[in-house]
Amino acid sequence: MHNVLVTGGSRGIGLAIATRLAGAGYNVIAVARRETEELAAAVRASEKRLHFRACDLAVIDAIPAFAKLVRDEFGAIYGLVNNAGLGTEGLLATMHNSEIEALVQLNVLSPIILTKYIARHMMADGAGRIINISSIIASTGYNGLSVYGATKAAATGFTRSLAREVGKLGITVNAIAPGFIDTELTHNLSDEGRKRIAGRSALRRLPDTEDVARMVEYLLGEGGRNVTGTVFTIDAGNTA
Amino acid sequence: MSVRLKVTEAIKQIAKEQHVTLPELTDGLSLHETGFDSLAFAILVARLEDELGVDPFTISEDAAFPATVGDFVRAYENVPA
Ligand SMILES: NC(=O)c1ccc[n+]([C@@H]2O[C@H](COP(=O)([O-])OP(=O)(O)OC[C@H]3O[C@@H](n4cnc5c(N)ncnc54)[C@H](OP(=O)(O)O)[C@@H]3O)[C@@H](O)[C@H]2O)c1
Repeated sequence: MHNVLVTGGSRGIGLAIATRLAGAGYNVIAVARRETEELAAAVRASEKRLHFRACDLAVIDAIPAFAKLVRDEFGAIYGLVNNAGLGTEGLLATMHNSEIEALVQLNVLSPIILTKYIARHMMADGAGRIINISSIIASTGYNGLSVYGATKAAATGFTRSLAREVGKLGITVNAIAPGFIDTELTHNLSDEGRKRIAGRSALRRLPDTEDVARMVEYLLGEGGRNVTGTVFTIDAGNTA
Repeated sequence: MSVRLKVTEAIKQIAKEQHVTLPELTDGLSLHETGFDSLAFAILVARLEDELGVDPFTISEDAAFPATVGDFVRAYENVPA
């Protein structure tokens, strides 16, 4: 049974990914700072295929030890889904520097360092799948999301070059770029705004967390065997 | 098995897997001359972390990777307990 580490697996997109993968037979380790009621319920229903391990991934110095802890407890990690992230909005001119730093720290630095410590064991094991959750904001613009957009563009840049670096060892690296999805991260978006985005999308609706989870399942499975270094947009045609 | 022996055994094992022909492993041998590429070193550090339970290059404040086989082995021998 392949182990898959899903960061930010306690709610929203990460919880949907973790639950789906556990249902598909993977052994899933969901990481977040706190376990939510929803995750605890999913863990109970999973017949020991879904586990929660707490870690504040913004504390960069704690990441090497956490990666080792997970490996010591569960064994080789086959899949890594870098999903934990902040979605702080703000006009650049007035955003507090600490908010800018926190965004870059959790969305860029943290997944890069975690990937370093997980990927090198994948290298030694000769197999692995890495999936980074980016956003359509990485390649389109949105007022108030310049810093967030920069961090999500970092995820796709990281994906392409790392795919080149580790491909020789049978490891794939891909990114998923979702459009707006209803989660806590986007709770600031008004009903009005939501309708506007849906109305501008080819399919006249918004994607949901399950759509992203299905793509992750595909990339981890046989279908993803020869897919690497690429970005999958899931936005109901918002950027089409 | 001593730390030194474990390190050299791991180097030989990875050389075999990566189809690298190693020169004789003396302390003075530059790591460049081992024929290992950066990928092979990454695998080596990961294997040794599994086997010895430490990664001296993460613990170390010094960002520089050792230059010779001797320096590399000593990095593992001198890990603070
Ligand atoms: N929702 C969207 O419209 C949308 C669109 C495109 C891309 N995305 C991306 O999708 C990913 C997930 O977003 P979401 O909407 O599901 O967000 P969410 O509902 O806010 O969930 C974020 C997850 O990350 C965890 N997390 C936050 N800070 C953490 C920390 N310091 N250490 C460890 N875990 C931490 C949270 O748990 P704790 O708070 O307990 O730590 C939670 O599990 C993000 O990378 C986001 O950028 C979202």
